[in-house]
Amino acid sequence: MTELAARIAAVRRPAPRTATVVSVVVLLAFLLLGVVSFAGLGFSWTQIVESLDKLPQFIDRVVPLAWPGFTWVRATNSIEWVGWEPIGEFWASVGVTLGIVIVGTLLAALISIPIAYGAARNTAPNAVVMVICRALGVVARAIPAVAFASVFVFVFSLGPLPGVLAFALHSIGMISKMMADAIEQIDEGPRLAIRSTGGSKAQEFWSGVVPQAFPAWVAVALHRADINLRDTVILGYIGVSGLGLELGNAIHALNYHRAIPLAISIVVLCILFEIVSSVVRSRLLGVAPSGRGIGDAIVRAASNRSATVRAAIEKPGATPDRAAAIQAALRRPWTGERIASTASIWITVLVVVGAVVATQADWTDLFTFWSNLPVLLAKDNLWPPTFGVYTPEQVIGAVLVTFQVAFAATLMSAVIAAVVGTLAARNVAPNRAVRTVFRGLLLLIRGIPELILAIFFVIITGLGAQAGTLALGIGGVGLLGKLVADSLEEVPHGPERAVGAVGGSRPQVFFAATVPMSVPAFVAHLLYLLEQNVRSATLLGIVGGGGIGLYLYDSLRTSHYDQVAMFLLLIIALVLVIEGAAILIRRALR
Amino acid sequence: MIASDASVIEIADLGKTYPGATAPALTEVSLSVGRGEVVVLLGLSGSGKSTLLRHIDGLETPTTGSVVALGESVPALRGRALRSLRGRIGFIFQQFELVGPLTVLENVLTGSLATLRGPRVGIRSYPRSHRERALGHLDRVGLLDRAYQRADTLSGGQQQRVAIARALMQDPEILLADEPVASLDPESSGQVMSLIREIAAERGLTVVCSLHQVDLALGWGDRIVGLRAGRVVLDTRTDDLTKDQVMEIYGRVATTTSELAAIEQELSEVRDALLTEEMQRGAAPAREPEEDAR
Repeated sequence: MTELAARIAAVRRPAPRTATVVSVVVLLAFLLLGVVSFAGLGFSWTQIVESLDKLPQFIDRVVPLAWPGFTWVRATNSIEWVGWEPIGEFWASVGVTLGIVIVGTLLAALISIPIAYGAARNTAPNAVVMVICRALGVVARAIPAVAFASVFVFVFSLGPLPGVLAFALHSIGMISKMMADAIEQIDEGPRLAIRSTGGSKAQEFWSGVVPQAFPAWVAVALHRADINLRDTVILGYIGVSGLGLELGNAIHALNYHRAIPLAISIVVLCILFEIVSSVVRSRLLGVAPSGRGIGDAIVRAASNRSATVRAAIEKPGATPDRAAAIQAALRRPWTGERIASTASIWITVLVVVGAVVATQADWTDLFTFWSNLPVLLAKDNLWPPTFGVYTPEQVIGAVLVTFQVAFAATLMSAVIAAVVGTLAARNVAPNRAVRTVFRGLLLLIRGIPELILAIFFVIITGLGAQAGTLALGIGGVGLLGKLVADSLEEVPHGPERAVGAVGGSRPQVFFAATVPMSVPAFVAHLLYLLEQNVRSATLLGIVGGGGIGLYLYDSLRTSHYDQVAMFLLLIIALVLVIEGAAILIRRALR
Repeated sequence: MIASDASVIEIADLGKTYPGATAPALTEVSLSVGRGEVVVLLGLSGSGKSTLLRHIDGLETPTTGSVVALGESVPALRGRALRSLRGRIGFIFQQFELVGPLTVLENVLTGSLATLRGPRVGIRSYPRSHRERALGHLDRVGLLDRAYQRADTLSGGQQQRVAIARALMQDPEILLADEPVASLDPESSGQVMSLIREIAAERGLTVVCSLHQVDLALGWGDRIVGLRAGRVVLDTRTDDLTKDQVMEIYGRVATTTSELAAIEQELSEVRDALLTEEMQRGAAPAREPEEDAR
């Protein structure tokens, strides 16, 4: 026995892996920086309690809600019906918003095809083109849509067009990256087969590559459209038409009775859009109409009608003459599949045409703007970029606040998501009901754009970084909670069963088996959230949430374009710094 | 090179070493195939059959030696010239390599891309005459009724028949087939192999087909070329092979005695199966029994 003790004592502990060390360091750094940031932003318990006390005040400033068609009357603190016209305007605004998102995203998706072709390792004509195309994608992603929009607002003045163009350019980053990934994952065989028949490079791409990558392309574009719809809020603040602009105007007029219904409408719109896009995405994976919905019934009925046509070519004996059989087969039968695909093509065309019309943009501006350029460029406050009226201390302070907001919000999300996300995981939640409730909660939070949350908190707690932190912190729970729940569910179940089999209780199983296996994923998700939060934090100031965005917004409002340029450059630089840092940390984690 | 009128493929001293590989994939391979000949490349996997076939279609560049197909020096061709040569050579792959999400008809139509300019998207983007021809080829391989179905919904045997229709669409002079039945069940294998043979006979095609089963090769080709570790170890006509010679072929392409024993066992079984099938086909030549029924 003593011999065993000696042997046990002699067991050497191996040095921990780099990845383990890095993830521990990252977690500790998150905790430390988060706490420091919370303190730096002046959060305190008393204040949080005070904010809660302000809730009745908030309700007082918001209720009664003046939905479109009504107006709030100060004297009586009640709402009054004003007629149908504002309702029409409201729906026109909805149309403009959707139009900007759809047209902008579609343009980006189209431009992304050649860029993805050049950026994918297996289709890139040469290394130079590949580097250029990848760089284009990275640059497009690093420049926020707001930055593009500010430039286009300057060139085209206010209206829908800057929004369309901003989405068209910024979205290229994400869509071309994902499309290139999809192209790299295709089966190379069919492509080789087309090459072997003598097909050219272009034919190889369109016949062999595109059909395989097409579903991914549509799915990414739809997903991006979701994100863009959320971004319309902030674009509205800088003068892009649509619901965001209406909301911004209401907020600036301090008319919260009108603002809140608009904010709710945007949230509902976002959720509806997401539902539609996810239905389309799941349909893309190829499902035959078997449901009881009216659409499916129509498709089935129509496919029955062409059964006679199909019979002619399906039974070789029915048409003894081969030539006749071939002639009959030239006409493609109206099977359910064909009806569905034809219908989806026409619906897409209608949606796109509708979007172009609904946007109400003056497209001719695209071809005439250069005649205005000399006038615009002659303005004296354009160049060189300068911090103008802001002192270096102010700017550094604002950058610091931006990072504080991001870190504090990430910590807040992490703490809440660790609980909510855990309870939303199938293998951890005590029962189905709990899981469903928390999954639903996460879904709901994800449905609300962060900027709308920020606007809510600005109204409740007043302008400042604290409102921004709360918005990002709560908004982040939606994303991080889902990621946590997913990664807990994806943990291999063998070890869990093993711990359960030796008699472990549910909590014991959770801490002994589930948690250790999901830590790496948690660190990765945290990093991702921080990246997102820094991006958002640079812009929060536009809606009054503190940080560098406030200076950008003020410069825009006062038409100091030299300052706008400077702050845009600064924001892009911050985004690139955090992205670079994240890439380095991820590499170390591998 | 000296390309006689009779030979459509003339390979001399072909050597290929892939970058980074230690051993060459092909060494001093010389092969001359006459017009209308049906040649089987026999060898175990990794013996260089695929590499050799790909050189004929210009899908690989030789390290040494020469490849002449249809009177053209393949490695010297670029761009349009290479594409038009590829257009005259059909290629059938082990994994069929159809574009899954496209319809069967559009897959067949891609066989005519070499004769068209610019990319094509959708069946309607191909000329009507091409569509008629494509449907005719589909009818020939017995899959006309599947024309508008997604290619990836077909069974393996059906997919390979579509691939044959795609090769026919090229109106090829040479048909190269790389292990065309290695991924198929025995029944579909029989259908596909006899289909290739029939089509070759109808059109007077020159066929080079790689296989790894000696028994399939024996009943099927006019000539067997054995490869082992990238070298030609055998080149013989199949007309009057004796049992001893057959065993000798096994000895050349296989490597170990246990493998030999296993193959010998397999040989008798598969041969019987082939024989029965051959007789059945002789009895009912019109339309092959469909595996579609399943």
